[in-house]
Amino acid sequence: MTEFAPGDRVRVRPAGKPGHVRTPGYLKGHSGWIEGVIGHFPSPEDLAYGLSGQPKRPLYRVGFRQADLWEDYAGATDDHLYADVYEHWLEPGGKE
Amino acid sequence: MSGPHDLGGSSGGPIDRSGHEVEDWERLADAINSALGSKGLQTTDQHRRAIESLPDYLELGYYERWAAATEKLLVEKGILSQAEIDEKAGEIERRWGGS
Repeated sequence: MTEFAPGDRVRVRPAGKPGHVRTPGYLKGHSGWIEGVIGHFPSPEDLAYGLSGQPKRPLYRVGFRQADLWEDYAGATDDHLYADVYEHWLEPGGKE
Repeated sequence: MSGPHDLGGSSGGPIDRSGHEVEDWERLADAINSALGSKGLQTTDQHRRAIESLPDYLELGYYERWAAATEKLLVEKGILSQAEIDEKAGEIERRWGGS
């Protein structure tokens, strides 16, 4: 029961969200692909305030091209970065 | 909202790779954290949030953040009052202080 499947193009939501967040700022607004579904977990962003974190949220491993993340990236074009991102931080789309 | 901890990808200057001996109070801060966790009084997620919201985050060392965040959580949860903590800290300072 996930919105995204491996291979789907996704974009990390660019807008901030108040409070404790678990998505690093350098990914916001950037596009990548779903590498895999890690599982469903209580949201740590709610657990951080003593809440239940329910319902459990899908957590994905999301792949990004390093060259898409860093303007001056000088490494190989197929260098990738993988990050664990919760579903509520992702939206469909983003160019190849 | 990104907190002061969210530094990934920004240039931070040279990294200090010199060794650091763990001090007794740092071990104690770690132990207190574990004890509070095992008693269900504090979770890692809560502690992390408290650490990231410290106004003086960038000025504090690693375990200073831990101790300050634990203090903040204990007050927030009503387990200890700020006055109780300050009183005890003052007592310890008088007992162990240099003078």
